[in-house]
Amino acid sequence: MTGLGRPGPAVIADELRQVLATAAGRPELTAITLDTPLFGDGVGLDSLTGTLLLRQVRQRFGVDVAAEDLNLDALATLGTLVTFVCGRVAGHRAGGDS
Amino acid sequence: MSTAGLVKCVVWDLDNTLLRGTYLESLPDRPPADPAIIGLLAELGRRGIVHAIASRNPPEAAEYAAQATGCEFVAAECGWGRKSEALARIAAGLDISVDALAFVDDDPYERAEVGAALPGVRVLSPEDAAEAVGWPEFSPAVVTEEARRRAGLYRQRHRRQQAEQAFTGSHEDFLRACRTEVTIAAASPADVPRLHELSERTSQFNSAGRALPAESIAALLGAPATDVMTVRLRDRFADDGLVGGCVIDRRQDRVWTVPLLMMSCRAIGRGVIDSLLTWLAGRAARRGAAAVQVPCPVSERSVPLRLALARAGFRATADQAAGPGRTVSGRIVSDRIVSDRIVFRCDLGTPRPALPDWVTAPGEA
Repeated sequence: MTGLGRPGPAVIADELRQVLATAAGRPELTAITLDTPLFGDGVGLDSLTGTLLLRQVRQRFGVDVAAEDLNLDALATLGTLVTFVCGRVAGHRAGGDS
Repeated sequence: MSTAGLVKCVVWDLDNTLLRGTYLESLPDRPPADPAIIGLLAELGRRGIVHAIASRNPPEAAEYAAQATGCEFVAAECGWGRKSEALARIAAGLDISVDALAFVDDDPYERAEVGAALPGVRVLSPEDAAEAVGWPEFSPAVVTEEARRRAGLYRQRHRRQQAEQAFTGSHEDFLRACRTEVTIAAASPADVPRLHELSERTSQFNSAGRALPAESIAALLGAPATDVMTVRLRDRFADDGLVGGCVIDRRQDRVWTVPLLMMSCRAIGRGVIDSLLTWLAGRAARRGAAAVQVPCPVSERSVPLRLALARAGFRATADQAAGPGRTVSGRIVSDRIVSDRIVFRCDLGTPRPALPDWVTAPGEA
């Protein structure tokens, strides 16, 4: 994507908001804050949207959340997912997967 | 394993496959359907296998084929792109693995393209297809009422998905607006064939990761400290029938173990698995158990199930001593120890969420 080093948290957060909005078919999710829970009353992630989200995270950032995070704690809020992806994205994009 | 082999959907080419001739070249007359293939469509349909179309023709050709064959097609991909991509879209739309598809085409080039891009697809010429009815991958051991109605259920599901796209409220509100009803009940002997079929057909939502023979399920019905539960689903679009189930092992009364938890992928996103897990934890807590545990494979395929477990408050345990090897394999599920499974555990100390009012279950008001 950028080819200029790795994306920062703000960029990743925006991309994840887009992914969530598309997966859930709810455009308003592009405006959620970092502390919004992904399960339950927040985004209401179900097995279908959750699977789509994790697949997109793997394709876009090269981070396999399901394989690395047994309890899927990274999906607590948008912020925890951003932190998880940021922490692992280093090295993946350096090679350039545009 | 047995689930890997069964074909759930056959994708048909039209020109010189379903039809005797070429659609566009025959206009204004249209080529008749091949009578042998019509028989084949009906026979496979009786076995619960659904049909779809992938054709290099305009969309009206698919409508014509449905009319000419009298068969209901659950999906039609008409266009000039790669057929492997058409098959991938059909599988995604039905929420099934591409490995559960068969593809029939008279053109060796198309067969080679699909075979190379999607090696798990059974690729057949029309002549092969005539023989294939006798093959095990087209011969499910049991054919249930749910299976016979499958094509209609896919159609109703499509209508439900369109309604949801147009719906503006939350997903929970949508389920309510659809008049969703989830009914959890103890299994009876009459449910055994469908429970077996479900265990054979489920892959994403099957915590055992494998099929359970009908005899084993029947034996569990009367077993001490064991519950076999069924989950039925209906709404204003369709009565999906028995879409899920679980086996509960209560022999350790403080820690209940669920050696099998399964749900049809057709029921995904409709509150079924969440209702079952919420009921299970509530029931165990009321009966004095301290925890419920579900051994579950950790693989790409089990991600939807793990998402459901995470939502319901289940956590992976470090303690595998009481895990899959003993609690599960000893009596119920297997003749071998499945080692790639992790025990997900829900501690019942904290207050449990209430079941939605559209769920009917034993022990619930």
